[in-house]
Amino acid sequence: MSMAIFSPKLPALSPPPAAAKTHLSSCNNKPYLSLRPVTVNNNNNNNNKKLQFQLLATAADNNNNGSSSGVAAAATTVEEEESAGSNGSPPPVAFGEKVADAVVVSSSSSFEDARWVAGTWDLKQFSKDGNTDWDALIDAEVKRRKWMEQNPQSSSNEEPIVFDTSIIPWWAWMKRFHLPEAELLNGRAAMIGFFMAYFVDSLTGVGLVDQMGNFFCKTLLFVAVAGVLLIRKNEDLETIKKLLEETTFYDKQWQATWQDDTKNKV
Amino acid sequence: MASIALKSFVGLRQSTPENNSIVLSKPSSAALPHRKFRINASKSSPRVTGRNLRVAVIGGGPAGGAAAETLAKGGIETFLIERKMDNCKPCGGAIPLCMVGEFDLPLDIIDRRVTKMKMISPSNVAVDIGRTLKPHEYIGMVRREVLDAYLRDRASTAGATVINGLFLKMDLPQSKTAPYVLHYSDYNSKTKAAGEKKTLEVDAIIGADGANSRVAKGINAGDYEYAIAFQERIKISDDKMKYYENLAEMYVGDDVSPDFYGWVFPKCDHVAVGTGTVTHKGDIKKFQTATRLRARDKIEGGKIIRVEAHPIPEHPRPKRVLDRVALVGDAAGYVTKCSGEGIYFAAKSGRMCAEALVEGSENGKRMVDESDLRVYLEKWDKTYWPTYKVLDILQKVFYRSNPAREAFVEMCADEYVQKMTFDSYLYKRVVPGNPLDDLKLAVNTIGSLVRANALRKEMEKLSV
Repeated sequence: MSMAIFSPKLPALSPPPAAAKTHLSSCNNKPYLSLRPVTVNNNNNNNNKKLQFQLLATAADNNNNGSSSGVAAAATTVEEEESAGSNGSPPPVAFGEKVADAVVVSSSSSFEDARWVAGTWDLKQFSKDGNTDWDALIDAEVKRRKWMEQNPQSSSNEEPIVFDTSIIPWWAWMKRFHLPEAELLNGRAAMIGFFMAYFVDSLTGVGLVDQMGNFFCKTLLFVAVAGVLLIRKNEDLETIKKLLEETTFYDKQWQATWQDDTKNKV
Repeated sequence: MASIALKSFVGLRQSTPENNSIVLSKPSSAALPHRKFRINASKSSPRVTGRNLRVAVIGGGPAGGAAAETLAKGGIETFLIERKMDNCKPCGGAIPLCMVGEFDLPLDIIDRRVTKMKMISPSNVAVDIGRTLKPHEYIGMVRREVLDAYLRDRASTAGATVINGLFLKMDLPQSKTAPYVLHYSDYNSKTKAAGEKKTLEVDAIIGADGANSRVAKGINAGDYEYAIAFQERIKISDDKMKYYENLAEMYVGDDVSPDFYGWVFPKCDHVAVGTGTVTHKGDIKKFQTATRLRARDKIEGGKIIRVEAHPIPEHPRPKRVLDRVALVGDAAGYVTKCSGEGIYFAAKSGRMCAEALVEGSENGKRMVDESDLRVYLEKWDKTYWPTYKVLDILQKVFYRSNPAREAFVEMCADEYVQKMTFDSYLYKRVVPGNPLDDLKLAVNTIGSLVRANALRKEMEKLSV
């Protein structure tokens, strides 16, 4: 019967509900997020918002059930048809957040983790085959910082935080962060190098060994290496230009009083 | 506000002062012919007959008080115009040790001596600094109304005429020897709150009237970017106050300020909790709430007794001197980046400008002109440019983002950093340290920054 109710309405809003239905049937938390774009277009007054909330709540309970997910979709489509004007996002957002919070520590007063002892990470709890598992330690610290950024806490004198990232040895950082990027950059440099060498050889007939002896080729090589190192993303070009301006901006502000222009002496 | 001038870059930039003096002289040689930029006292100026040179100092804060005293001692007829004699300025109130010596401040002006600081990172890693301070070294916390009044009284004793009035506007002179005409409301007279409109003729003006300077407007000095500093004075219980006996705290993080820091500074019998920002002024209340949250355990149960806010200039105005008008202190924009320190620089610039006037006028006997005031500018820029530049670099590097702030707090744990920081803050000297230690420091700094940024990239991957 519910099908009969919403089937005529479906064509009017075909893409969102269809998407919602497929997402819902895959039964994960995402459905609530994908429903949001639909509800944002809603212009509900408060009563309608509450109705949405309750219907979504029932949808949550019947996560695995395809038909009741259909009910949720129906509810939102029904709301949309009736609606007049406001934003419908608060209830779904609130609901979504509550679900998320249940995953993390709720009613947070401080960061809690079994391995976080006395304001620092207990290295003994990170041992793997007799050695410390630095990767796991890095992961744990990343989670802690993420949590702290989203839930700023009061700094306490009784439980001071004294963790210092320099206890993680340099080779652990290198293995995890530097090596993958180095591989990427070296790969780029190799590709550019091969094709440039081939290209120059085909144009001028100068082989690779002879190219290395030529000043212009050496300059090209230097430019290619510098380019690969400095420009890793498209945005880096803009960043570098802005950086150059930034380093001299303060100096310019200070010297402004020494730059004179004729219009002062009127 | 205390500064944490990390010295990591001084060793690498030792050539900066020379470079800058070269740059400074370049514009003067390229100056347009009818603008005299050559720096020498106007010996060719006519003698001022029958009287001494008259100079008005607008604004009676540290800059105005110091300037007026030096002028009066130098034999110049000085008028100090201040609109509110008991002004309780919203201010961090921190002065470096050298100010006590250089300005002969009596020790009872200082309410507290801060000898320890705590830096707290975005993830609440707390680092104590101050271990390297010698027993006689401290950061002085003063009440502005006490300090300002003391400096003004000293100026008055030296011979300056202190006028309680509000500067309204000035008439620019028509010739090189004609006087400036100041229009002000005099509150000294018995007429009511509005004050009596008066005029005053002077030969030169020192604008020491702060961030919203009217003198600066009068000479079209141009605008500057400014930060809003917001502060709440909170009275906390005695046992909680004990913790802040000689300790100040600095909180960094995106929640507290996107481009500055939040602070808890101890005052005479309460603490000042505040924060500031340049780029997100509209969110200042949010940042203040976050600062109070971060300090919550330590200020719990406190009562807010006063809320105040004030602008802090971020850089000097485009024009600091025009004819015989010079700007000093906040009016000129002499507040350092990174730490937001302004009291010492205000007083010092006031004194330097007054000294230039005294010298250029040969103790008040000759008329001055713009080149005499440019002597002060040149001396100021040469002496303090390295300090300002280093602090600007520190702000750009370490206040950029949360990872940079984490690295900043990590670096503060290093003893060499602490020693360099306090040396340069307390004595206003950019001292190049031991090159080997500087190199080690640079490596450690880069290491900290790289680690913190690497962790942040992982954090972004983790986004919930």
